[in-house]
Amino acid sequence: MKKRDIITGILVITFISALSGYLLAHVYNKTKPKIEEVKKVEEEKLNREIFPDGFKFEEKEINGVKYLSVLNENGEEIGKIFEVKTMGYGGYITLKIGLDKENKIKRIKIKEHNETPGLGSKITQDSFLKQFIGKTKDDIYLKKDKTDEKIDAITGATISSRAIVEGVRKLLEKIENGK
Amino acid sequence: MLNETNLFFIFLSAFLINNILLIRFLGLCSFIGISTNIKSSIGMGIAVVFVTVMACSLSWAVYNFLLAPFHLEYLRTTTFILTIASFVQFEEMIIRKKLPALYRAFGIYLPLITTNCAILASAFLGIDYKLSFIQNLFFSFGISAGYCFVIIVFATIREEIEIAPIPESFKGVPIAFILAALMSLAFLGFKGLFKL
Amino acid sequence: MENRKLIDFKVFLNGIWRENPILFIMLGLCPVLAVSSSVKDALGMGISVIFILTGSNLVISLIRKIVPNHVRIPVFIVVIATFVTITDYILAAYSPQIHKNLGVYLPLIVVNCIILGRAEGFASKNNVFNSILDGLGMGIGFTLIIFIISSVREILGNGTFMGKLILGENFKPFLIMIMPPGAFLVIGILIALKQKLEKGKKKC
Repeated sequence: MKKRDIITGILVITFISALSGYLLAHVYNKTKPKIEEVKKVEEEKLNREIFPDGFKFEEKEINGVKYLSVLNENGEEIGKIFEVKTMGYGGYITLKIGLDKENKIKRIKIKEHNETPGLGSKITQDSFLKQFIGKTKDDIYLKKDKTDEKIDAITGATISSRAIVEGVRKLLEKIENGK
Repeated sequence: MLNETNLFFIFLSAFLINNILLIRFLGLCSFIGISTNIKSSIGMGIAVVFVTVMACSLSWAVYNFLLAPFHLEYLRTTTFILTIASFVQFEEMIIRKKLPALYRAFGIYLPLITTNCAILASAFLGIDYKLSFIQNLFFSFGISAGYCFVIIVFATIREEIEIAPIPESFKGVPIAFILAALMSLAFLGFKGLFKL
Repeated sequence: MENRKLIDFKVFLNGIWRENPILFIMLGLCPVLAVSSSVKDALGMGISVIFILTGSNLVISLIRKIVPNHVRIPVFIVVIATFVTITDYILAAYSPQIHKNLGVYLPLIVVNCIILGRAEGFASKNNVFNSILDGLGMGIGFTLIIFIISSVREILGNGTFMGKLILGENFKPFLIMIMPPGAFLVIGILIALKQKLEKGKKKC
């Protein structure tokens, strides 16, 4: 009797698992296009927020670093968007940094982060990010770290704030030196 | 970007800075139930470390060698939990036969561990953070060691508290949570440990 | 316990108060504390749990007579994992913001003791209608509590409710409420309140 039990057992599990696998493959295939579309739409939205008057966004590369070249209707480059990864409080933060023609910061947007909701997540707010606009690399330090400097951290989220500051400054340094 | 030299950091971060119980809130069900008694806490803690490290390594292998190459990532929830459950089952059988003394010590905690969210979470996080095998090893060890540490400390405090004057309605579970709040506060302080 | 009516509405109410999964059975705590710093996320989690719990209760109740006893746990796990994965992908496609905020806690619903507990303790022993009611009741009970906790935490810790500022610009939030200690604090007090209520009833 025991052997028969084991066989029925295995049959039932295999059947249920197969059914489950089939169902999941189905759901996955149905939702995959939607999920990719959502990602694309979000990406475009971020790009447009940084450069509202950008007409076309082209992927380019310089010195091995990829970036998005922002073109106006006449095909002239009016700026660049760089994607930077920096280590925050809860993991990696992905930033989109928009630079104007003089390589000064035009606007910064946070693409992805794992910071604490309500605290570190405030790095996505414009009230924090707008502090970076127009600054050069020497200005980009937290007030806490260099008292005559310009960026106010978010209360209760120093590490998240510092991560952004470091990420931005490192990019500017790389551009000044590498390019 | 995480390279091998960061192994110590990975361990410490999982153990202290993002402690699985007090900061990530995982593994709580068993935590509250078992931490009333120091002996059981030690047993549970050791069992968790053992199962977590092995099961996470196994899951890492399953994901990276079986699921990902065949684009079956959507099966990871099912496969991970089945891997963990089977591993625990298998483990229990072996220990019961080969090391009966050890089984008597912490064997009963093994089935409880299957539903311990901390283990499943470690498996998921190892994949999400795109860790290498070695990094995953240190990561899962850090997480489970963090669990073990906290549950033992907690049990020690709780046994003391049993004899303290607490308002009736707070006795038992509520005071445990208040305690957890205080410990969590302390652990938050570790967040500034590494200036990256 | 098998002598239940075909459709027993008491089962539904049971999940909401008398045997509320969080307050009374103390199950499924992890996601409660993790996503309760924002009401919106908490509701997202609650609705996911209602769907998964009801769905898995339904399926398990349907197949309860054909699943051999010694393989029931793995079978339950596969069923639950299937529902969780479906929820995961549907949310990713249609509510990406909530999906992002729930993060790793969504797949963790698989080991949420509530769901496995109800599958084992109820759905495998009762008919389909009652199992559905049980799933709904427990799910709603769960959502209710997580709603209360997240409301307290978001209002006191952030000054907002569902993202909208309600305590005015000058309110200095108690940051601690939004952080892990705040979660432990709120649930500790909640359970203490419930124990006090129970004590009061006993005196009568």
